Amino acid sequence: MSYPFWDVPIGYGVLMAVIAVFHVFVSHFAIGGGLYLVVSEQLARKAGDSPRLEFLEKLSRFFVLVTLVAGALTGVGIWFIIGLIAPTATEALIHNYVWGWATEWTFFVVEIAAAMIYFYGWKTMTPRAHMAVGWVYFVFAWLSLFIINGIITFMLTPGQWLATGDFWDGFFNPTFWASLVLRTGVCVMLAGLYALLVASRYQAGEFKERTVRYTAGWGVVGLAVTALCQYWYWKAIPAAVVAKALQTMPTPIHSIEYSVWLAAGIGALLVVFGVLAPRRLSMAAAALLMVLGLAWFGAFEWFRESIRKPYVITGYIYGNGVELAKTASYKKDGYLAQVVYRTGDDGADLFRHACRSCHTLDGYKALKPVFDGTDRAFIAAIIRSAHLLKGNMPPFLGTAAEADKIADYLSQRLDKRPLAEIYKLEGVELGRKAYELRCGKCHVIGAASDKSKSFAGQSADDLNNMLNMAADLGAGMPAYTGAATERGALVSFLAQLGKGAKK
Amino acid sequence: MNLPDYEFLSAPLWLVTVLHLLTFTLHLVAMNFLLGGVFITLWSSARKRWDGPTAAGFTRIFPAATAATVTLGVAPLLFLQLVFHRQMYSAAIVSGWFWLLVIAAVIVAYYALYRASFEGQRTDRASKAALLLALLGLLYVSLVYSSVFSMAEQPALIRNLYAKDQSGWVWNPAVGDYGLRWLHMVLGAVTVGGFFVGLLGRNDMEVFATGKTFLVGGMVAAALTGMVYLLSLEQHLAALMHTPAIWALTAAVALSLVSLHFFFKKNFWLSGVTLFLSVAGMVFVRHTVRLLRLAGEFDPASWRVAPQWSPFAMFLVCFVVMLIVLAWMLRMFFGAKRNAA
Ligand code: HEC
Ligand code: HEC
Repeated sequence: MSYPFWDVPIGYGVLMAVIAVFHVFVSHFAIGGGLYLVVSEQLARKAGDSPRLEFLEKLSRFFVLVTLVAGALTGVGIWFIIGLIAPTATEALIHNYVWGWATEWTFFVVEIAAAMIYFYGWKTMTPRAHMAVGWVYFVFAWLSLFIINGIITFMLTPGQWLATGDFWDGFFNPTFWASLVLRTGVCVMLAGLYALLVASRYQAGEFKERTVRYTAGWGVVGLAVTALCQYWYWKAIPAAVVAKALQTMPTPIHSIEYSVWLAAGIGALLVVFGVLAPRRLSMAAAALLMVLGLAWFGAFEWFRESIRKPYVITGYIYGNGVELAKTASYKKDGYLAQVVYRTGDDGADLFRHACRSCHTLDGYKALKPVFDGTDRAFIAAIIRSAHLLKGNMPPFLGTAAEADKIADYLSQRLDKRPLAEIYKLEGVELGRKAYELRCGKCHVIGAASDKSKSFAGQSADDLNNMLNMAADLGAGMPAYTGAATERGALVSFLAQLGKGAKK
Repeated sequence: MNLPDYEFLSAPLWLVTVLHLLTFTLHLVAMNFLLGGVFITLWSSARKRWDGPTAAGFTRIFPAATAATVTLGVAPLLFLQLVFHRQMYSAAIVSGWFWLLVIAAVIVAYYALYRASFEGQRTDRASKAALLLALLGLLYVSLVYSSVFSMAEQPALIRNLYAKDQSGWVWNPAVGDYGLRWLHMVLGAVTVGGFFVGLLGRNDMEVFATGKTFLVGGMVAAALTGMVYLLSLEQHLAALMHTPAIWALTAAVALSLVSLHFFFKKNFWLSGVTLFLSVAGMVFVRHTVRLLRLAGEFDPASWRVAPQWSPFAMFLVCFVVMLIVLAWMLRMFFGAKRNAA
């Protein structure tokens, strides 16, 4: 809240993903590709295999263009974007890890210089010197991963750091090693996939056959390491974090399932082309592999980001920049006291700092559709109970008056017509909608918080009574403030739910 | 539980400042070579002062210069963020889209420079068009930096601009405040670019003459704009007079004249060193101006210092290793090139 808020119509999550997925993909390839180049060069030189050397030189040109330009700059781009969308967390990371970043920078400088020298030195340098530079490139690129891995894993599992604040406690945190080996496997796999793309353009023949075979081997080894480490990584995440994710967020768990299927697909294609029909590897097949690789890695990264919710730094800073250490002062003086850049519209300012970094009004994770047809009192109650909602939300730590201000702001932008009119529904279907909007945010049918059983055997009067005293049913549960038609419909839907639950 | 506090500096302020200003000076030198070099190459080919091979020779180095500019830019940005993130992020957020487009502009410029360098002398027009595109990209970046960093020195301006518009499409309207500053930086780049052109073209009369023209012309123009900019600072200028920066400024001006002298004598070593020191002096002046403009709003000395010496030692060791490995690789590379030639 020490910063202005960048009010973009696109969701922050989407914005971040666009740059980060691309960068992460290229940067892992940049490490694995370096290893692939120098190892293959060594083998080719030993065997006096000049077509292979030519292939590698061509590959290295691609490599330089992709990694040095797009890879390095999207890396800088991540710095730019996190400073814009999560300035508080970035600030915390920089203050704690500035010497980590600075160290990483020294590796980055060597890495870039080595890549250029390697590329420009094919013809002029002695083989020995050239390969030495290739190794320098790989080692330093991997060392950068070593450092960045420490900081990324810190964000998910800060471990002892939360108690000690010690640099090394945070750096060598519980998921550090699993993630490091996993990412190294990814590097090797991506190097294979990428080189296959270049190799696929060769004419079917003896050279293509052995190159594809050899390169597919890289893919398989990388994939195997990765698959094993994924399990290790999963086990290294503290049980509490996993349990919470399993309970409230089925999506990240699904993404893990997808990633297993994607990995299986990659493995199958690698075997088909690597072992059975290397000469037939077409551009299209190689590109498909690449896409699968991207999707697989995307699924993994998304999973990692999702289970960290609602935090940016677990147990320390929430996704909206709300800091746990300041809980007491938020509760006492509210958020606004901490908002440095004000616009004159308190509701808007509060909405931005409390909700906007994860939600938009009517785009990504839109709030308009989930509040249209409800009322101000209900919205305010939902805000105060944000921590109870499905989806692992950060708690609202501001004052009740501030929750009202956000509710004002939102309700002015909603569809004010009755639910029946907005959705053209009636009877039980209208009731279902009312449930979705007014109850389903906390009581997800079929999940841990399902209350269907409580409705079993209740008469319409009982259910009406229950709605009358809704606010007393649980700490944080909103009073029922909907209109009469909706109420009737909701009661019939609840009755139906109850019948279903009894069976 | 008492959570750790992150509002601290993990090394004494002076150390961070030295690293910041040193790496920034290095970044400026690389950037100046790039921006000035591209500009001079375009100009000289357009005026037909250079033949194809000469222009192609310079064009071949620009991708490496871009790599150097970017990598050397990362470090000062890191140290700047460490101390001034409140001001810097705030200004960047207000101009969010323009700020983010810097990345796109650099990528475009970078690819254009690669394109031009692979083109060689084959198609002169395509190569020129690519250089022009790169130049525009680089100028965009420089303009955004001047506008955002100058906004960052005026928290009141950030507050006003943000109160009116939160979309990130706000371009700093105080052009009078940073226009000259930007021009001064660009002219400085042309000056240093002229030095490098003269250095690399020392054996070719025509090229050396071009370098000399831009070195001298750029220096005069940069001095004039710098002067006017300083005068426009009004009350800050008076304050500046009472800081060591005024001595640094005097020394920087004197050193740049000394540099000219050695350049004419084709003593590039001394000319280069004095020019570098002159740039470093200017960087120090710029830093002081920032502190003066922020005075009353923010004082970096107010940071609590809680050193992390072991991570710092890691950095220091790696920094030395970096220098050694760089020197070793460059020696191998240029040694091999010399042997090949
Ligand atoms: C750290 C990110 C984050 C912040 C901040 C945040 N939310 Fe959420 N919110 C989520 C996620 C994730 C979900 C689950 C969305 C889903 O499953 O699609 C969610 C769900 C919701 C839902 C339920 C949507 C539904 O389907 O009924 C509501 C309502 C909601 N948020 C309102 C708010 C309000 C109001 C604020 C500000 C006080 C806020 N959120 C702040 C991340 C956040
Ligand atoms: C902001 C979250 C929230 C919303 C929205 C919400 N509830 Fe609840 N509800 C709670 C909490 C918290 C409890 C108490 C803890 C528990 O039993 O899980 C609770 C408890 C209940 C209970 C259990 C009472 C018992 O003793 O068994 C019922 C029934 C119930 N809610 C029905 C509803 C209905 C119907 C709606 C929609 C009109 C609704 N809730 C909306 C949070 C909510």
